[in-house]
Amino acid sequence: MPAPGAPPATAAPRTVLACGEVRTCLLPAGQALDSRAAAQLLRLRADERVLVSERPNLYGRSPDTLTGVDCPLPSANGARIRAVGTVAARAALTEGRVLQTSAYFTLPASGPDHRRPWGDYLVRPAVVEPLGKLPYDAVAAGLLDGGRHGDLDVGLIAGGLLTRLLRHPLLDQRPPLRSRQTRLRWVALTAPPGEAPALERFTVAEDELRTVRLRVPEDIPAADLAGLCDDLALHDWLLTTLVRVLDGIRLGPAAPGSWPRTSGDGELPPVVGALRPAVDHLLHLWMPRARVSGRLAPLWEALEERPGFTRQWLALVQRVRDQLTLHAIPPVHREVEPAP
Amino acid sequence: MLVFAASDKGGTGRSVTSANLAYQRALTGDHVAYVDFDFGSPTAAAVFDVPSALRGTEERGLHSYLEGEVTEPASIDIWRHTEHPVLRARQNQSGRLVLYPGDAGGGEFATGEEALERCIDLLLRLNSEFDLVMVDLSAGRSYAVDLVLAATAHPQMRHVSYRWLVFHRWTRQHVIAAAGLVHKENGILRSGVDRGHDENTLQGNIRFVRAAVPDPESAMWAQGSPAQAAWMQSCNRALRRLASDQHIGDSVVLGTVPLEPILQWREQLITEEDVLATQIANKETLEALEEIARRLTDDAYWGLL
Repeated sequence: MPAPGAPPATAAPRTVLACGEVRTCLLPAGQALDSRAAAQLLRLRADERVLVSERPNLYGRSPDTLTGVDCPLPSANGARIRAVGTVAARAALTEGRVLQTSAYFTLPASGPDHRRPWGDYLVRPAVVEPLGKLPYDAVAAGLLDGGRHGDLDVGLIAGGLLTRLLRHPLLDQRPPLRSRQTRLRWVALTAPPGEAPALERFTVAEDELRTVRLRVPEDIPAADLAGLCDDLALHDWLLTTLVRVLDGIRLGPAAPGSWPRTSGDGELPPVVGALRPAVDHLLHLWMPRARVSGRLAPLWEALEERPGFTRQWLALVQRVRDQLTLHAIPPVHREVEPAP
Repeated sequence: MLVFAASDKGGTGRSVTSANLAYQRALTGDHVAYVDFDFGSPTAAAVFDVPSALRGTEERGLHSYLEGEVTEPASIDIWRHTEHPVLRARQNQSGRLVLYPGDAGGGEFATGEEALERCIDLLLRLNSEFDLVMVDLSAGRSYAVDLVLAATAHPQMRHVSYRWLVFHRWTRQHVIAAAGLVHKENGILRSGVDRGHDENTLQGNIRFVRAAVPDPESAMWAQGSPAQAAWMQSCNRALRRLASDQHIGDSVVLGTVPLEPILQWREQLITEEDVLATQIANKETLEALEEIARRLTDDAYWGLL
């Protein structure tokens, strides 16, 4: 044991940056997977068990897989900093319905000037070490903006894992509604000692890309940060998808060939046909903070305040229910001609 | 739904017509992807007027994606990036219209198991995102045709509905060539069966589109002599007989696009503006395109009702 107060012999330089990317999509299967099937889908490694929990909702998470990397880090000022280490990636399935893959790593403030033997990197999973000193502000900005071709791209690792999972024979490739994948990129900078974790920025950058910038105390594990960002990505995807379902409904007579085209709907009015999959597959999934670690849970407050995630969700859900209620009324009483 | 646009020869108006069909469907509110599998001569960017958005996608197009050089192919939101003044003012309630461009320099390439898997990944993803996925295939019995035949025969794609459109011009040689593309020894049907398709199902999913068809009754020919008119009428009758003998008669035709002067000059989208305001395009052309676009998903035209 080291003497009290003395640094341990193998003291790693302190972590100054954590980052990751989350891909979120609807599981392309006609029926949601039950917990056994979820465990089967998420068994990425034979030697480690899948975490499955049923409270407060059905949730499965794969063991972490590691990907070795040795490439330049993206940076906002064009500096080329080579970095070596491993990126962790994992997959999660919520209520057997929403599939997410998430890749992440942390960066220490500095590393040795030359590459070390692989074994040294493998003993510290999900740490990518810069060769030399890390200009962390420029790298944080570079990570959020996405780097040049050839730079370390954690999104590729998450995307590759998602592609692999989507090919799984358990999936019948019959998604019950039309939806799009979203990507959420995040970075977490270290907060000064004594400060509470903070969500500095949440942006909807493009149609499918969101970026999150956090500032958190150094001792919060990167896996917990990835867990928070998975949760943000899941709920952002739910909002995005439900908004699009409602955007797609045409009030009034339907165009032929509109989604969904399954013949099982019989003579359902088109609005009911369009909203039904949302009721069956989406509305029960809203549960912010279900699996966010205690110290990070308060970060949700910022999003609830502005833009108000849950507020928007409740308004959308109410709109779905109002439309369905309206369509329970026979058309002859429902379709009111505007008064002249 | 996936729609594969094929033709035996170049110059049949396949790309320009299928792009117009994609555009018409997007106007009706469908989310539409236009996938440029015309390896070697990608033209979609010109039709949709997105030349500058195309810059920077040269090495991230579908060709590079299928070869495994990039993990996601480039895509271009047409409403946002087009330089076409009418398209820029995206119509209210229209759906998304997204182009997946080919690579600038990509030619045909050898088929492989990995390219097939990536093709299936892509088609499944697009099918879950879009109402209609229009795939423009290189002319003839090309690699692109083989690739999508193999992909749609794959068990993973068994629940994905697909339809084929075979485009041809209204001349003797084009009628024979189009029939050959489907029915001949190494045509689409035979190759499809070899890859595991059921022949009747596949054949039931193929319809023909006659493009650039001169209408003998049209005002365009009113200046001609009576002898010319009689000759055109008899030619038209002979072609109909030929088409029917070749198993591509009226019962398997989804629609006919009249000969349109502006399409002879330039591959472009026909907008309502071109017909109503500037009157450079014929009303009949636009109506034909709207009608074929509607019939794409009307089961009555696909032997299902």
